[in-house]
Amino acid sequence: MIVRIIADVLIAIGAIFALAGTIGILKMPDTFSRMQASTCIPTLGMLGAMLGALLIAIFVKADAGAAVKIAVIGLMILVTNPLGSHAIAKGAYKAGVRPEKKMETDDLGRDLYD
Amino acid sequence: MQKAKFPAIAATFVLCFLFWILLDFSFKIEELIAGAVVSLLVALFSARFLVHEKAGWFFNPVHLFSAVFFWCGTFLVELVKANVDMAKRCFGGCKNINPGIVKVPVDLKSDYGQAALANSITLTPGTITMETTEEDGQNYFYIHWIDVTAPSGKEAGDAIKGTLEKGLRRVWE
Repeated sequence: MIVRIIADVLIAIGAIFALAGTIGILKMPDTFSRMQASTCIPTLGMLGAMLGALLIAIFVKADAGAAVKIAVIGLMILVTNPLGSHAIAKGAYKAGVRPEKKMETDDLGRDLYD
Repeated sequence: MQKAKFPAIAATFVLCFLFWILLDFSFKIEELIAGAVVSLLVALFSARFLVHEKAGWFFNPVHLFSAVFFWCGTFLVELVKANVDMAKRCFGGCKNINPGIVKVPVDLKSDYGQAALANSITLTPGTITMETTEEDGQNYFYIHWIDVTAPSGKEAGDAIKGTLEKGLRRVWE
């Protein structure tokens, strides 16, 4: 019972951070800031939900196979997400995407592309 | 492209086989043998892409434990802090931002260490690694930062990745 409550709280925390990331994606002013906000979703949003699911799988359902699969899913998201983020950000910058408002400092453009 | 050496193949094989067991999670002898054959084939073909430096690095328990300590302790704390900060900005109407790209020096030397640091930085909300370069033997990362509080250089580097780099140096140096 206690475990169930802790798991539900963890899933709720994950949902709150996912909501924050979604609001960021919709309201941030430029591409890169939007990507920054979206990083909330696969980190704490996913981690909270996965930890909650893991607790339920271990203590409520007592299913070792499901628990291991949940852990692997979480690990894979954590390992692959930064690769995608990096590739999209770099690709967007190379393709000429720039924020409307001038950035505070832009060393990448100064050194490599402009 | 260099040829795959035996330690590299063995390390890749162990990794693939552990992953097979994790995904399959049944310990019947036939399934284990099938997994071993598939892992060996994969290892033979892909070891030279996966392993570039010392292959036995991670099978040393000291490195393994410091890596686990880093990702489950230091990095998790940084991750939660950055997440709360970013969530506050998002719920506050996304006005309180000051984005920019800064260039920071990186002291880690090995490829793996740099890759781990770059991925950890990207995984933290508020910072994305966009490019890496090397100038006069010193490595630099170009990092997109949501709230620029310091100009490029050592100071910005400490603010973004000070604790992360200290933790990773224990794993890879």
